[in-house]
Amino acid sequence: MDSILELQDIHKSYGGTEVLKGVSLSVNKGEVLVLIGPSGTGKSTLLRCINLLTRPDRGTVLLSGTDLTDPKTDLNRMRQRVGMVFQEFNLFNHLNVLNNITLGLTKVKKMAVAEAKQVARLELEKVGLADKADSFPGELSGGQKQRAAIARALAMQPDVILFDEPTSALDPQLIGEVLEVMKELAREGMTMVVVSHEMDFTREVADRVVFLEAGQVIEEGSPAQIFYHARSERTKNFLGKIIGLPA
Amino acid sequence: MDKLDLIARNLPYISQGIVTTLLLTVVALTSGFAAGLLLSLVRVYGSNRAAGLAIAYGRAVRGLPLLVIMILFYLFVADLFHLSAFMTAALALGLHSSAYQAEIIRAAIQSVGSGQMIAARSLGMSQLQAVIYVILPQALRLALPSWSNEAAVVLKDSSLAYAIGTAELLRRAEYVSARTYEPLLVFGTCGLIYLMLTFTTNRILGALEAKYRLPDGH
Amino acid sequence: MAEEVAFIGKIIPELLKGLAVTCRLSGGALLLGLGLGLVTAVLRVYGTGLLKAVAVIYSEVIRGTPLLVQLFILYYGLPDVGINLDRLTAGYLALGINSGAYQAEYFRAAIQSVQAGQMSAARALGLSKLQAVIYVILPQALRLVLPTWANEVIYMVKYASVVYTIAVPELLARGQMLNSKYFKPAAIFFTVSVIYIIVITLITKLTDGLEKRLAIPGLAVESGRD
Repeated sequence: MDSILELQDIHKSYGGTEVLKGVSLSVNKGEVLVLIGPSGTGKSTLLRCINLLTRPDRGTVLLSGTDLTDPKTDLNRMRQRVGMVFQEFNLFNHLNVLNNITLGLTKVKKMAVAEAKQVARLELEKVGLADKADSFPGELSGGQKQRAAIARALAMQPDVILFDEPTSALDPQLIGEVLEVMKELAREGMTMVVVSHEMDFTREVADRVVFLEAGQVIEEGSPAQIFYHARSERTKNFLGKIIGLPA
Repeated sequence: MDKLDLIARNLPYISQGIVTTLLLTVVALTSGFAAGLLLSLVRVYGSNRAAGLAIAYGRAVRGLPLLVIMILFYLFVADLFHLSAFMTAALALGLHSSAYQAEIIRAAIQSVGSGQMIAARSLGMSQLQAVIYVILPQALRLALPSWSNEAAVVLKDSSLAYAIGTAELLRRAEYVSARTYEPLLVFGTCGLIYLMLTFTTNRILGALEAKYRLPDGH
Repeated sequence: MAEEVAFIGKIIPELLKGLAVTCRLSGGALLLGLGLGLVTAVLRVYGTGLLKAVAVIYSEVIRGTPLLVQLFILYYGLPDVGINLDRLTAGYLALGINSGAYQAEYFRAAIQSVQAGQMSAARALGLSKLQAVIYVILPQALRLVLPTWANEVIYMVKYASVVYTIAVPELLARGQMLNSKYFKPAAIFFTVSVIYIIVITLITKLTDGLEKRLAIPGLAVESGRD
């Protein structure tokens, strides 16, 4: 099992508050890692540290051995290998769905336009949006927007995809279609790091669950271990509050 | 009736002023846009020192009446570069407009959600690529309504070129009025012509706005 | 260098007299504009028939034509129909009428952004339409319009300079008069510019401060001449 992603002792402060207090994690190829924990404990910040959208104050981020925190690293090039899906979708509003996907391919991967469109259409088929290629983000439902965003990230053929609360901004009836796409990705062996509150999804799909609270890793293990045999009181407290599992 | 006749006979001469006025407006708006775009980018993405300079420029230019800028250009810039009255007026108008366009574009850039930049960077785009392909296309669309307003303002402000002798619409109207001793009639007609110009401009820009508005009314 | 400074010192009193004229002009214009603007806005929003038409024509025509043309019509044109205005009066009127049309738009937008429910609630209490406008709508609209109105103050101080073209001795005109007397354009117009920039910056700071204290938090009308 090779480690595709390694976070070593990540620290981050905002203003005077320390949000991440020395987080270390490693993710293996093909693994689905889910980060759970109370809101505001730095899960999103941690995710943003992985592709250096936020620069950690201290600590190292290794992507397949390359140190992303090294100032000499070409981050723009490295970011092609880390996909990201956002809570707020962040589709490019002025471009239709097809061009949302081809933009990264043509400008960053320097693909020819025709080839890029082909790749884009393939990805759209995979997420079930083939017929929406010419639509604009403003014309799509939340679930469709998120699936388009996933297609956009997939098209770049990343080594790992980061999901930052992908379903939190969706109406309940639209959550399912997005989780389905994510489950399919996991089945196909995509390495995924997911921040989510969807416990059923986590139980079903996660290879490992990491419980983060107050900027620190409290516990990690398989879903079965975390949900039913949690060792830490704090883990049990958190789980008890959100899914009513017996403590 | 012979008043109408008077207008009709002098209309061609006055109307040539329309061309000058429109040219002044176009040159001023274009140069103002180029400078304003640069300034707004410096303000939003530049270093603190560069942004500070851009802010100072904006404060200085917006702290002066256009007429003062025109006269400053006339007194000090025209001779230096051997500029015609037209170019002097056009550049003064352009400088003045650049400060306002910078504000308009800056506000538009800042109202494009921050998520857009983050998404673009997460795909591996450089900041420059993100600005050119993601931020500006949206910002410029958002800026259209305010920009249309600025276009109308520049059109009307072009009349101040009168003060430095540029032969635009108002200047020509003044010559005719002096020759015919019918100032009310002539200046009234001049006003009507401007009204038609601003009306047409608003119509055209309004159509552009409707065309480029993003679906979902963004 | 020292003689330049001395020269500037010599001309400043004269320039400040011009500044005073500028301030009086813009102040008077703003007040006239306030009256005209409020009435026009109310007529546009709540009026009907002829009164509303007049209000619409007034604001559309004035905002669609340059200030300088309006000034010339008043000063050079009106004598044709027997009305002879002296330059200062023409200046006040032109600026005031011009400002009124723009202020009418700002008030109109502010009135229309006061929620419809306010009028309903007022009428439900038994207030007449006029009472509702005076006691419920306008007080809210006036506070919404503050930022834009503050902008208008700044615009008026700058646009007052157009009366230079009809030889009213405001700041710019005095600069020109001093220049034809002493022929030192650089020193003179540099000083004129600095005075303008200082005055405008001061007004901007002042109105920003006032705005923060008087405006309704979270609500403001987006508009202005630019």
